[in-house]
Amino acid sequence: MMRKTTNWTSTILIALGSLLILFPLYMTISIALKNPEEMAVSIFSLPTGLHFENFRNAIEATNFFNALKNSVVITVISVVFILLTNSMVAYAIARNMKDKFFKVLYFYFISAMFIPFQIIMLPVVKVTTDLHMNNIVGLIILYVVYGLAFNIFVYVGYIRSIPYELEEAATMDGASTWGTYWKIIFPLLAPISATIGILSCLSTWNDFMLPLILLGDQNSYTLPLVQYVFQGQFGTDFNLAFASYLLALTPMVIVYLFAQKWIIGGITQGAIKS
Amino acid sequence: MMKKVIKPMLAGVLAISLLSACGNNGNSEGASSGKVEVEFFQGKAEAKATFDKLITKFNEANPEIKVTQVNPPDAETVLKTRVAKKDIPDVVGMGATDTFSTLSKSGLFEDFTNDPLIKDIQPAYLEMLTNMTGLTEMNGVPFSTNANGVIYNKAIFKELNLTIPKTWDEFMAVAQKVKDSGQNAFYLTLKDAWTTLSIFNPLESNIVGLDFFAQRAAGTVTFKDTYREVAEKQLKVLDFAQKDVFGKNYNDGNTAFAKGESAMYLQGVWAIPEIQKANPAIELGVFPFPSTNDATKNKLVSGVDTLLTVAKSSKHKEEAKKFVAFLLQPDNIKQYISEQKAFSAVTGVTQDDASVADLKESFESGNLVDFADHYIPAGMKVETIFQEFLQKKDIDAYLTKFDTEWDKISNRK
Amino acid sequence: MAKRRIAFYLMTIPALLLFFTFHTFPALQGIFYAFTNWDGFGESYDFVGFKNFVNLFKDENVINSYIFTFKYAIVVTILINVISLLIALGLNAKIKFKNFFRGVYFLPNILSVLIVGFIFNYLFSNVLTTWGAKMGSEFLSQNILGNADWAWIGIVIVAVWQGIAFNTILYLAGLQTIPKDLYEASNLDGAGKFREFISITFPLLASFFTINMVLAMKSGLMVFDQIVALTGGGPGRSTQSIALLIYTGGFQGGEFAYQSANAVIYFIVIIVISVLQLKFLQKREMDM
Repeated sequence: MMRKTTNWTSTILIALGSLLILFPLYMTISIALKNPEEMAVSIFSLPTGLHFENFRNAIEATNFFNALKNSVVITVISVVFILLTNSMVAYAIARNMKDKFFKVLYFYFISAMFIPFQIIMLPVVKVTTDLHMNNIVGLIILYVVYGLAFNIFVYVGYIRSIPYELEEAATMDGASTWGTYWKIIFPLLAPISATIGILSCLSTWNDFMLPLILLGDQNSYTLPLVQYVFQGQFGTDFNLAFASYLLALTPMVIVYLFAQKWIIGGITQGAIKS
Repeated sequence: MMKKVIKPMLAGVLAISLLSACGNNGNSEGASSGKVEVEFFQGKAEAKATFDKLITKFNEANPEIKVTQVNPPDAETVLKTRVAKKDIPDVVGMGATDTFSTLSKSGLFEDFTNDPLIKDIQPAYLEMLTNMTGLTEMNGVPFSTNANGVIYNKAIFKELNLTIPKTWDEFMAVAQKVKDSGQNAFYLTLKDAWTTLSIFNPLESNIVGLDFFAQRAAGTVTFKDTYREVAEKQLKVLDFAQKDVFGKNYNDGNTAFAKGESAMYLQGVWAIPEIQKANPAIELGVFPFPSTNDATKNKLVSGVDTLLTVAKSSKHKEEAKKFVAFLLQPDNIKQYISEQKAFSAVTGVTQDDASVADLKESFESGNLVDFADHYIPAGMKVETIFQEFLQKKDIDAYLTKFDTEWDKISNRK
Repeated sequence: MAKRRIAFYLMTIPALLLFFTFHTFPALQGIFYAFTNWDGFGESYDFVGFKNFVNLFKDENVINSYIFTFKYAIVVTILINVISLLIALGLNAKIKFKNFFRGVYFLPNILSVLIVGFIFNYLFSNVLTTWGAKMGSEFLSQNILGNADWAWIGIVIVAVWQGIAFNTILYLAGLQTIPKDLYEASNLDGAGKFREFISITFPLLASFFTINMVLAMKSGLMVFDQIVALTGGGPGRSTQSIALLIYTGGFQGGEFAYQSANAVIYFIVIIVISVLQLKFLQKREMDM
């Protein structure tokens, strides 16, 4: 009964639409590979000689590998800690919702989702500096702490759908609360953790504002922040600027190419489950 | 079972402490080798490389001191945040802007009034600083100065047989001739709001004058009654510009002017290195913007491009001042101004580049006037008011807005 | 049992303390400063009561930024939802290279908003203008970002280009939850495509529609990175969003206290809108 034939109208429309998505990226790559003389001939045409010197210059000028290292360190450590700590807090809350303290705590955390970041922007800079945390470590702590609002919302919803029986059995066997969480609950959270991990990874990697206001030392700048600096320094050299944009975008695109199914699957899962 | 939880936690804590150790490495190393670290904070992206060279030279000559340069984007904002954190850099290099004036009033910088460092500085620039801050203290040492005028393409001027205009009428006649030849007289880059200032500053300083701002603050005058001529001339310039003036930014303008797309370019001398980068062969010159029809009254807009100052809170004031003194040495400032196409605030050091030869007369006769926008509170974001006015072209609405915005800011105090 | 309780407290209290220190405490400080005249860096300040709040309502720049932000957020929310729903329907149909296209449409979501903004900034000023000139259109040969009346459309285009990715995936997830036999039943009845969508697909997507509307609206109201990269709030102040005004005024303009008051108002507005939106959309969900 099912229609097995390909729907060609949809295929063509989807294909045309995807050109609109790909065009700006094609332009980025082609401008990054040209030199100013080729640009003068035509902006659109394919580059004739590949000007990899744009990349060499961009790497040198922005200290690319240092920024890459910073971005990777910040993102990886933040995501690991978000997954470990936020799920644990959510577990404690989800299993004690009848207790007033935990119930208040739940609403306290999730209400922060509505607070615009601008209101805490300058005070938080003062607080972190007083604690000597205006560096990468401080930035990671802020990402982990600020993740709480949304992640607790998602984790609590998910944990409440997990039946108590498993835990009760474990408690009977003499497992501690920590043990139960770590051995029973955390593995069960894997699908939703994947979703939260992906979302946190993307938002941390691409964040611009928090590094901008928090990081003092230029050696700890992240990739997007370095691009912002780049804007001023490269003036009229668009090819150089685009080479640098492309370099900054590439690491995540490579990850995406390999993990695409997993990333989209993770978000799809999260959307259906929560 | 506890072990299983604790293990990853420990690993994490370890990772973080390792990280912070990495972060501190630089400092502790510096301390252990007995070097005094001096942080030099400056906001001019164009000048980063030049300062780096000078810093290397200084560090080699002073092995006990290590100066490091910090050059963030949006430097004035970063500086203000760092002031809020009470983490003021040892040495600050910045423009003589409203931010400098506000920070000076907060008493954050050293007083150089009796300091030998200002002995060789041209008095005109010292005066500009105190006029602007309104303080008796001298909170900075003028280092390099700049000029904002009309950059012109010598080849086009020759081809059309044009001479440098001395009055507003001559200026407009030149623009008309270029236009008649089918070329653009000006290349305006109004997508970047700040570039509207290169039109406003010479007009304000020469037609109205800087004393106006004190009177405005006292409430004896209004923009509406005083600024009509300035407003009309701001608009007039648009008649001779290229298409899509609001769609082009500063970088576009530098490239376009370098390619000969306009005969004149209303910018400061800081644009010259950028233009020459885009076309090393271009022959260009700069003349003062002729704002009025009295040639003797048309002064060149020139201000303190970079001033150097030392934080009161610095732990290494002596070393910081040593670095400032080093930058002010004639051969060092000479290197700076020749690479940056700037002018020197130090007496006796001159800019000899051919491109700015036409300005020599103004500098020698001291026929200079400061940037008017430095006297307007930064909170007004006056450049966005100009940008809107040039697009809407409504003089009355513009002047009314100027007055209400000014009052709004002063009411906030 | 007591041991269990202690463990639960140990799991939450460190997080509570950190959260209070780095989120609640600064937020309270922000509210506190809203009643002062602190400039953000000076040594001293005075209490001024509600003066900042009164001035906000008289400030044309503030009112304009609210108008711009709402206009922008509403248009972006509608466009993103309509387009991503269409794409999701297309991707859910029997098409060739389904996984490839799905991958392409999600791609913008992994890219940095700031860098995408820089790239589009260049395309608007140098590529679209060239096309416009070739087509002989005076309007299109000018940079849309330089036009006070149209610049906001440029920002909308970039936000939609990037924003549809995430919502498409959510709609696609929703479409996959709809059992296929429902359609088969309607096929037998000979229901048309459009009717099929209205009577089967859309009602079953209602909860996804709610999430997507709320998410798109919220990010629309917070718009910042795109504007920094595209217009910086110009021409004039025509594309200055609330977030940008608070940032520039608070940090650059030395009006920290004043903009803190603005942030407090902004906070109230966001809460009111979120609550209204959820109430309205959930009620509709029920009705369907």
